[in-house]
Amino acid sequence: MSSEDLKDTDTEARFEFKKEEKSAFETEKGLTEETVRLISEDKDEPEWMLERRLRALQQWQEMPMPTDWPGQPDLSEVDIDEIVPYIRPDIETRGGAESWEDLPEEIQDTFDKLGIPEAEKNALSGVGAQYESEIVYQNMQERWEEKGVIFCDMDKAVQEHEEIVKEHFMTKCVPPSDNKFAALHGAIWSGGSFVYVPEDTTVNMPVQAYFRMNSEGMGQFEHTLIIAEENSEVHYIEGCSAPKYSAFNLHSGGVEVFVGENAHVQYSTVQNWSKNTYNLNTKRAIVEADGTMEWVSGSMGSKATMLYPATILKGPGATDNHITIAFAGEGQNIDTGAKVYHNAPDTKSTIESKSISKDGGRTNYRGLVHISDGAEDSKTNVECDALMFDNESTSDTMPYMEIQENKVDVAHEATVGKIGDEDVFYLQSRGLDDDDAKQMIVAGFIEPITEELPIEYAVELNRLIELEMEGSLG
Amino acid sequence: MSTQVHANLTAEQVRTISEDLGEPEWLLETRLEALEALETLDMPKVIRTPGRDWTNLDALEYERIVDPLDRSQEKDRVEAEGVDVLEWSEALAEHGDLIEEKFGSVVDPQRNYLTALSTALFSAGTVIYVPEGVDAEDVKIRTRMNSQSLFNYTLVIAEESSSVTILERQSNGDDVEGKQYYSGVVEVDAGENAHVQYGALQNLSEETYNFSVKRGHADTYATVDWIEGNIGSRLTKTSVETRLLGDSSESQIVGAFFGHNDQHFDLNSRVWHEAEHTVADLVTRGVLDDKARSVYEGVQDVGREAWDTSSYQRENTLMLSDESEADASPKLIINNHDTEASHSATVGQVDQQDLFYMTSRGVDEERAKNMLVEGFFVPVLEEVAVDELREDMDDMIVQRLTT
Repeated sequence: MSSEDLKDTDTEARFEFKKEEKSAFETEKGLTEETVRLISEDKDEPEWMLERRLRALQQWQEMPMPTDWPGQPDLSEVDIDEIVPYIRPDIETRGGAESWEDLPEEIQDTFDKLGIPEAEKNALSGVGAQYESEIVYQNMQERWEEKGVIFCDMDKAVQEHEEIVKEHFMTKCVPPSDNKFAALHGAIWSGGSFVYVPEDTTVNMPVQAYFRMNSEGMGQFEHTLIIAEENSEVHYIEGCSAPKYSAFNLHSGGVEVFVGENAHVQYSTVQNWSKNTYNLNTKRAIVEADGTMEWVSGSMGSKATMLYPATILKGPGATDNHITIAFAGEGQNIDTGAKVYHNAPDTKSTIESKSISKDGGRTNYRGLVHISDGAEDSKTNVECDALMFDNESTSDTMPYMEIQENKVDVAHEATVGKIGDEDVFYLQSRGLDDDDAKQMIVAGFIEPITEELPIEYAVELNRLIELEMEGSLG
Repeated sequence: MSTQVHANLTAEQVRTISEDLGEPEWLLETRLEALEALETLDMPKVIRTPGRDWTNLDALEYERIVDPLDRSQEKDRVEAEGVDVLEWSEALAEHGDLIEEKFGSVVDPQRNYLTALSTALFSAGTVIYVPEGVDAEDVKIRTRMNSQSLFNYTLVIAEESSSVTILERQSNGDDVEGKQYYSGVVEVDAGENAHVQYGALQNLSEETYNFSVKRGHADTYATVDWIEGNIGSRLTKTSVETRLLGDSSESQIVGAFFGHNDQHFDLNSRVWHEAEHTVADLVTRGVLDDKARSVYEGVQDVGREAWDTSSYQRENTLMLSDESEADASPKLIINNHDTEASHSATVGQVDQQDLFYMTSRGVDEERAKNMLVEGFFVPVLEEVAVDELREDMDDMIVQRLTT
């Protein structure tokens, strides 16, 4: 791998190219084979990828919408015939807003309140500020390169790392047949990150897709493929914390993580999609012997989220840790949780889930722990805590545990409570006003999440929650 | 669903049953409507986990097992002072109006295919009427089924400020061979400040398919407590439910089960908090051996107006065999923030260290294991306030362990 391969030198050229192409998409109605072929052609993809897209399209068309899960979010507004307009802005995003002033006011407002510097604001909002972030990106890139680490965007990975992508892309981890939105994703995916960490390599600073995602104008159907070979270690941070300014409202990403023997992958994300977004994502990891997968996620935004990151503990001694936090304010339905399949002996998992609901928001922990016959000496511990602010809000907990092996140790615990009046009173008596007191309690409540995140993400998550609590977030 | 209805399950049979019990017209009508509804009703919902139905009720061949006019049974009823414990014909004669008012008010006769079948065909059962202010202990009912199928219907009406403890046991007589079907519906209506404790101990043969719904309504300050013991049957599908309708009402659901061989238990506990200051406590412990399977779902549902709710749930399963399977799903549905709620569930095996400790003290391994299993049930048995029920349950556990 040469350094040239890693550099995305012609971003601008590609950008222009896309702009020219966009009219071809505008005429499309409904999600058809032709659209899928156009996407593939536009990306100059190899034949096998087109074939996979077309097969996924067929599966999307055949599968029913999920409608009968107990208490699931209402997806009736997700109109299949309106899907294509979602693709179009995907291609257009780069040209969507020419300047900061073109952004919707509420987004500008949110960034202002977050206290983010101007340059970063531009980058985060996708307003043509690629160059600021490119510098950061490239500085890091050189370090990784020396170690043989690959970090590039997914479209490029298909071109430049074809064999490895062909082997892993939506084959063993998230096949399109997994669920209706995985199938949709398989048909029209675009953009995303590719991370490859060779054997015995530790990437000792977090790999962040935060800036690059926006500089690339990531679509709503981005694919992330992470491959950590034996004895390697990497921490990947997905930054969809920027509220998307797009008018379209379906996000259906796909994340596949391969954790090799004795490897360690942490995947952190703070998502704050705009409040008109349906966030229907599929994330999964396969963990080989003695490997460790860690999911850290904060779900703040979206109108409705259905997301249950899954881990398959495939090799003996594999470990999975989930730490999640969900915050649902007015009009939001955050249905999220975790799935773990213990398919080998001596596997361990822990799930720590926290949720906050407020102003009529609705949170649900929906989880599955499956222990297969033969996965002896497996251990799992699930803890869910829900904090509620008012009786307009709803908090549900729906864990499922399927145990087919007797030599196991399985524990699930969940609690729900209102914000403690006594705690608020105590803090008020120390001179804090009501809002500050509540914020402090919430900050303490979510601390297990924030302490797992790099400081800038932790700060941002806290700040986002503060804004949510004040009800002043766009 | 009409495939399940046997050609010879007729309105005529329903009329015969109704006539034998000396029923009024309204009850016959209710039965006939239920019979007709079989055409359209679905089987009760079974517990599902993503991608899997754990209990296949459709596979049961009701049309071959159910024989409506064969309803041979033995029943013992032990009355307590001041309480009417009556078989249906007597009850209808003495409390006709009250029964008309309460029958089907707690459990909808057409809730699903199996309750409708029960409503149409029930021939055995008991009405327990506890007048205002009466405190009654130890009402006992023992049913032995001697027929291919038996439909049992228990209606408990506890008036204001009364209290009653009811113990109902089901088992089989020796006379019948092959598959059998037992169906039981229990309705409890607890008036203001009434206190009803209903315990059931099911020890049916392992060729018996068992379907039961037990549901109570609790008025202001009322308490409805359930004890649900499941030892026998080939397959048990049971729901134990309380609606806390009045302010400051309470409910406790205590469950114990012990499955072995090829037994399958599909167990539901559910509490609805629908008023202020209500309290619920759900505790279930079960043991599985051989190829037995258990599916447990417990739901604490806190309504929008249920201010100051306390709701707790614990479920623990002990697995003794590698071939057994367990599924647990304790669910919380919370719509009011002024709630203290928690649930927990565990699945595990006999603690190896405990076992080692005991064997190192000279207890042989088999006995040590049995003691630990017996000990596992203790926290649940402790919640059983009725001595006789607790002792019976303990005996059955010991018996299962030693045979």
